[in-house]
Amino acid sequence: MKSTALLEAQAVKAYYSTRQGYIKAVDNIDLIIDKGMTLGVAGESGCGKSTLMNTLMMNVKPPLHFLEGTIVLDGKVISKMKISELKNDVWGVRISLVPQSALNALMPTKRIIDFIKDVIRHHTDVSDSEIASRARKRFEELNLPVDSLSMYPHELSGGMKQRAIIAVSTLLNPRLLIVDEPTSALDVSTQKQVLKMLMDLRKTGIIESMIFVTHDIAILRQIADSITIMYAGKIVESGPTEDVLFNPKHPYTLSLTSSVVTPEPEVRERGLASIPGEPPDLLDPPEGCRFYPRCTKSMSICRSVEPPLKSEGAQLVACHIASGDG
Amino acid sequence: MLLEVKNLTKVFTVGLFKRREIVAVDDVSFNAEPAEFISLVGESGSGKTTTARMILKLLPPTSGEVIFEGKDVFGLKGIEESRSYYKSVHSIFQDPYAAYNPLHKIDRVLNQVFKLTGHSGAERDRLVKEALKEVGLRHEDVLGKFPHELSGGQRQRIMVARCYILKPKLILADEPISMIDASTKASILRLFSKLRDEYKTSVIFITHDLGLAYYVSDEVLIMSEGSIVEKGSPDDIMNRPQHPYTKKLREDIPLFYRKWPGF
Amino acid sequence: MPQLIKDLLRIKKLDASLAIFIGIILTSVLGSMLYATKPLAIVGPAEQPPSVEFPLGTDSWGRDLLALLLAGTKNSLRIGVTAALISLTIGLVIGVTAGFKGGIIDSALMLVTDVVLVLPSILIMMLVAAYLRERNPFYVSLIIGATGWPWVARAIRSQIMSLKSREFMYLSKMAGLKDVRIIIEDLLPNMASYIAMAFVLLMSGAMIAEAGLSMIGLGVTKGVSLGIILYWAQILESVRRGMWWWFGPPGAVLVALAASLLLMSTALDEYFSPRLKGG
Repeated sequence: MKSTALLEAQAVKAYYSTRQGYIKAVDNIDLIIDKGMTLGVAGESGCGKSTLMNTLMMNVKPPLHFLEGTIVLDGKVISKMKISELKNDVWGVRISLVPQSALNALMPTKRIIDFIKDVIRHHTDVSDSEIASRARKRFEELNLPVDSLSMYPHELSGGMKQRAIIAVSTLLNPRLLIVDEPTSALDVSTQKQVLKMLMDLRKTGIIESMIFVTHDIAILRQIADSITIMYAGKIVESGPTEDVLFNPKHPYTLSLTSSVVTPEPEVRERGLASIPGEPPDLLDPPEGCRFYPRCTKSMSICRSVEPPLKSEGAQLVACHIASGDG
Repeated sequence: MLLEVKNLTKVFTVGLFKRREIVAVDDVSFNAEPAEFISLVGESGSGKTTTARMILKLLPPTSGEVIFEGKDVFGLKGIEESRSYYKSVHSIFQDPYAAYNPLHKIDRVLNQVFKLTGHSGAERDRLVKEALKEVGLRHEDVLGKFPHELSGGQRQRIMVARCYILKPKLILADEPISMIDASTKASILRLFSKLRDEYKTSVIFITHDLGLAYYVSDEVLIMSEGSIVEKGSPDDIMNRPQHPYTKKLREDIPLFYRKWPGF
Repeated sequence: MPQLIKDLLRIKKLDASLAIFIGIILTSVLGSMLYATKPLAIVGPAEQPPSVEFPLGTDSWGRDLLALLLAGTKNSLRIGVTAALISLTIGLVIGVTAGFKGGIIDSALMLVTDVVLVLPSILIMMLVAAYLRERNPFYVSLIIGATGWPWVARAIRSQIMSLKSREFMYLSKMAGLKDVRIIIEDLLPNMASYIAMAFVLLMSGAMIAEAGLSMIGLGVTKGVSLGIILYWAQILESVRRGMWWWFGPPGAVLVALAASLLLMSTALDEYFSPRLKGG
């Protein structure tokens, strides 16, 4: 494992078992998260990004099955750990995940401070007053109103709830925080507040690295150091943000960046691109490149041979055309 | 003048014992010409959807007028006048989940409009297939299915297809592409442009996405807390915003070609 | 919707209750047709316990209690279904109109509903029943049906009101459909579960009401029903005199019918609740 890497995933496969067969949601993925990095993971619905996040944490429950691969976090091989080890040592402690539906997961009968007590008590035995003072300190650190601690979830606005959830998820200073579409239900100004809070978590050292999953590329432009683009269960392009977004090598990345709609004159000049068709069914994906059926530039090799992730310039790309094969 | 909205207001009274008044729409006025794209931009709760419902005669106003082609919309009486109105003014609803009756096949959504157009038999089939093709759907994939068997994007596109069959003079499109994947948004927007160019259809886009409004509209109306706080061309709004709400909106939208200062 | 039937049959509660209910219906209908003895005919010695000749024994007049039970169950079921249909129809019409139209029509209809709700139905039934010299099964159904509908109207009304604001109504409205058509095509199918449950509960209540009326002597004047059998059993003190074959079976059948219907309504509720939320 590289010394600068915080998390390294190799050849990871995680499939959903259904009556009709396996849904190959995460199919032979390699991924490295460096220390001090904010990684953006982008892709459209059904590309497997949420499944990948759960898999990276080893939060794998049937019908999702972890088939093969290795995941090493901070030197520890978490892909081989038992559930009890993961619960005590990894989840919340080294990695924390704020899933997509987190806003609705808060029990309406508990106050925020009670959630915090639950989380801390699960890992250490500490007095109530100690917990209260830690919570207050953390909230002050993150510029969150301290009186929200004694409120119930329904008394908080959507944005405040989301920030509280993120604060509680990072109480034990996990090294890696994963957030999955944390702002899609929020209005634009609240979104900016939440994004700022996430950046502050990194700046103050509460967390070391972060993975931000979203379909909104403009957000990633603003906060991510690196971007990974996923399509149909595979990583198609990966690299530093500016390189991937402004010098994309994979045709899918190009179509994604050409369909960004922001109120900027460049968008009007460029126009909005669109590609026909839909992503493939993950029950039975195409043999070769999964983007082949919709690609305008394809070659014959694309249909039969899956392109490997290779280095091209500053980024990694899985595309025969980009790598000059065939 | 195709549409005139004059001082439209809607006040809701809620509560059983302690009656509270909620002013959802406060004195809203604007106009629309034929073959024009207007955007009504605002966050949830801004009153934009309620305004649209009133224009569509689905909700009675507390006060104000809506004049379509010179006729007072709220003064229309009877089934025939209603039908005639809906032939010219139609809507695409935001939540494709709630907008479909779960117990009927989606074909009904498409076939219903033939009551307004008067087509029959083979003509209907042809128009349905043509419309589905225009929105990028294969009729074999969607006809005969129930709403829960289709994705959000498919359901949204079927509603656009419904409007395409009808070719009304005015469409109120409530978040028409929010559920559609980035790679197919453009084709739907092109469809709206086609309707405008060939049939002089006007579209009022109701959205929270200032980017969409900027890209597609001739005029942008910013709504907040029930009122229109700013009106102007997309360039006016982005380059010379007057109202503090617009200014804040502009600052907080994540941009693609420019980075936020201090991030 | 064959899929619906398939799914429904998978619920065990529904299987069990349906089995009991249909079993009783079939037995009573076919049985009263096939069993040779006429129910009201005097065929043997009085007050005999069950024997091979008279499987459920005889009553104080020497009539065959099995014949009486079969005919009585059939009539009780008929009265139950008729009364339930009457209540359901009144409740539906009032509930849908009030919920859909709103405003002053709603207030007026709810006022009527509340008045009927508050009236002591037993007293009304007693008054009407006593006034009528001859009470055939249809009149009895009418009396029960005309007093049992208020809760149905209210339940239907609130369902309509919550469905009314769902957006799928808008599409039909904008297609220029008339109100009645929107109610029939869009609203009622989404309320099918409520209507089915209401019917089941109404029927259960109606059969018990019939038994109650009969036991105070205000049931049908000609013919027999479960309540009538119990009435006779009661006035001839069958309990004190240990003639369990007289009051036992009709009571058990009545309980079985009511219980199976109630179980059915819970099963239907379970099945429909998650599906109504959009599926």
